[in-house]
Amino acid sequence: MTGFSLSAQGLDPAHLLKPPTDTWPTYNGDYSGRRFSPLARINSSNVTAMTLAWEYRLDAGSGTLTSAIKSTPLEVNGVLYFTLPDHAWAVDARTGRQLWHYQWESHGGIHIGSRGFGMYGSWLYFETPDNYLISLNAKDGSERWHVEIADVKQEYFSTPAPIVVRNHIIVGVGGDSLDVPGFLESRDPETGQLQWRWNTTPRKGEAGTESWPNPEAMEHGGGMTWVPGTYDPELNLYYLGTGNPNPVMAGQGRKGDNLWTCSIVALNPDTGKLAWYFQASPHDTHDWDAAETPVLIDGEVEGHPRKLLAQSSRNGYFFVLDRTNGKNILSKPFIDINWSKGLDTKGQPIGNPEKEPKPDGTLVTPALTGAANWPSPSYDPETGLFYVNALSSYSIYYLTDTADKPEGYGGRDSGVYSTMALKAIDYRTGQVRWTHEYNRGGPSIGILTTAGKLLFTGDPSGNFIVYDPSNGKILWHAHLVSNVSNGPMTYELDGHQYVVVGAGDTLYGFTLL
Amino acid sequence: MLISRAVPDAAAVERGQKIFVGNCGFCHGTTAQGGDSGPDLVRSPLALDDERGDKIGPVIEQGRPGKGMPAFHLPADQIQDIAAFLRSRQQAAIDRNAYSILDVVTGDREKGREYFNGAGRCRSCHSPTGDLAGIAKKYDAVTLQSRFLYPRTRSSDTQLNRSDAQSIHSQVTVTPASGQPFSGTLEYLDDFNVALRDPAGEYHSFSRDAHVKVEVHDPLAAHAELLKKYTDADMHNLLAYLVTLK
Repeated sequence: MTGFSLSAQGLDPAHLLKPPTDTWPTYNGDYSGRRFSPLARINSSNVTAMTLAWEYRLDAGSGTLTSAIKSTPLEVNGVLYFTLPDHAWAVDARTGRQLWHYQWESHGGIHIGSRGFGMYGSWLYFETPDNYLISLNAKDGSERWHVEIADVKQEYFSTPAPIVVRNHIIVGVGGDSLDVPGFLESRDPETGQLQWRWNTTPRKGEAGTESWPNPEAMEHGGGMTWVPGTYDPELNLYYLGTGNPNPVMAGQGRKGDNLWTCSIVALNPDTGKLAWYFQASPHDTHDWDAAETPVLIDGEVEGHPRKLLAQSSRNGYFFVLDRTNGKNILSKPFIDINWSKGLDTKGQPIGNPEKEPKPDGTLVTPALTGAANWPSPSYDPETGLFYVNALSSYSIYYLTDTADKPEGYGGRDSGVYSTMALKAIDYRTGQVRWTHEYNRGGPSIGILTTAGKLLFTGDPSGNFIVYDPSNGKILWHAHLVSNVSNGPMTYELDGHQYVVVGAGDTLYGFTLL
Repeated sequence: MLISRAVPDAAAVERGQKIFVGNCGFCHGTTAQGGDSGPDLVRSPLALDDERGDKIGPVIEQGRPGKGMPAFHLPADQIQDIAAFLRSRQQAAIDRNAYSILDVVTGDREKGREYFNGAGRCRSCHSPTGDLAGIAKKYDAVTLQSRFLYPRTRSSDTQLNRSDAQSIHSQVTVTPASGQPFSGTLEYLDDFNVALRDPAGEYHSFSRDAHVKVEVHDPLAAHAELLKKYTDADMHNLLAYLVTLK
């Protein structure tokens, strides 16, 4: 990386490959998506003394707050950087004091959430509901440039945190309302110009077209790229879960598996070329994006070391794949499901046509919001367990557009029931080793595990809780202003470990004094 | 809010529909979703980009000679009405919360009655002439379908149940270490604390320490259990029976 000069505040690119404990340089803390920190200053023997260091309540300046804090902050050189739709902040990581606030003048789009920043040297990158990629100067939050990545008038809206791999700013898009094609892009860090675009659905003449009935269906096929992916630097593969096909609930105009929607895909980050895919929900009609974090596990299969990838997927399946080639190792439901007839020879689920949306309704579990969703799971290499806040839930799915060529969603759902449980899954067998049941449901919640033998997460009643990851025993808790709304993160500065979590409009920093 | 752009004036939409059907429907279909020789205009990027005819106007006036679309010499106000009509068709596709549910009463009413009195064990708590008398007058069929599956309104619901705000409370008995039990309506429960309101309306809150006993009676537990057991046929039949309870 020649000619790269590093300011005192900027991110050293080497830290993306091996983050030191004073740095959380990317959405998941590192490229693996495990959300496991080697920090152990706060640990099982002293966590009862963990206490509040600071709070920061979001100040939107002259704007309005349209969502809870869903962004996982970055922490680089003592400063936390995080976003909300149209807004961005820098806050002192030791004191919670605001350093700067940036506000974007919106042209529309759904303002459901923003997952945060990517960072390259002294520059920050985030996406807006009206589909702009914006680059800010980390020192003072001033805007360097903005580029449009999708058209808000076609009902695209963008939520992911960009992921930086070498000189690639990898950005995704969202928007299921009007059957537009999904894609992933790599942008130049200096100018924002396009380097490559990968289309989630094929174009005429490409491989994968046999899974669609005609080009019109493919080009309106959806497959949004909602959630940041993970990256293996040795294999040089970027892993991503793609969204569901469009029209979301009316599948009659798109018969076929609908590649590469609802898939875990591996892309070359320098070219955007597809290396392999595994489809979590062929021909999905339930809005079950397979966008959940594809967590990289360096594990074992039958006693031999293997490079693996695991996903607690929205459709209720826990998938384990070989991440070198996409071969299925394991596919096992982690909640009760009623929509699958079993697995095909590739380990992919076979959907039961009886449970596709019907004009008079069909009762399906999980509900539309899924067994898991965008909030981050965690893998703890010391316990060998994969943790997810799982929803057991039901929706009635109605087909409202019975035309041969439906448009829009083509259907509606009514969520009738949901309940949450924190589950610890053994990646080798898919068995749930322990469960902590809650007495209500709600949106799923992000998780962090650490070498201090601790698991940090929230419950659906507004508590921030620390568990023993080996057995689910509760070690510490505090009741916050609102449910935990992002993924907890951690860093160490001057020998002090901080755990930072967002709940509603407030960012909390906990530590040992 | 799924619609973020201005909703066109209803009178303009109505005029626009007539003009569109008369001039454009032959190729583009009467609902603008595409026809034999004209493309879909609902998901068309140009038509979505249009504001009051600024993008579609030139196409209408010049046609698309290479693609077989003739020129139409329409006055500006008629073009704006067409634009309003197209925008309303687009917004109808986008606004999924306003989609109409089709006929949901498709089951067998007699089988529904048998399920109610038999396998569903609904009779343990409910009576068609008692608490459920007139239930089908109180709720439309779609709402009734969601409510009999699970009667509590939840904030994560889609808008189907928004009008129905009644909530059903669990009862709880808390016996602290001192031994004197407190009973009432459950107001709050998590792993750490429990709170209730007693029959006199007084609020009592407790830490859930080791020796504190908490017994919750959830009147909706049977509904949650049944969710695992219903077939779709059971669900349709039960609804067909319940809609007769007027």
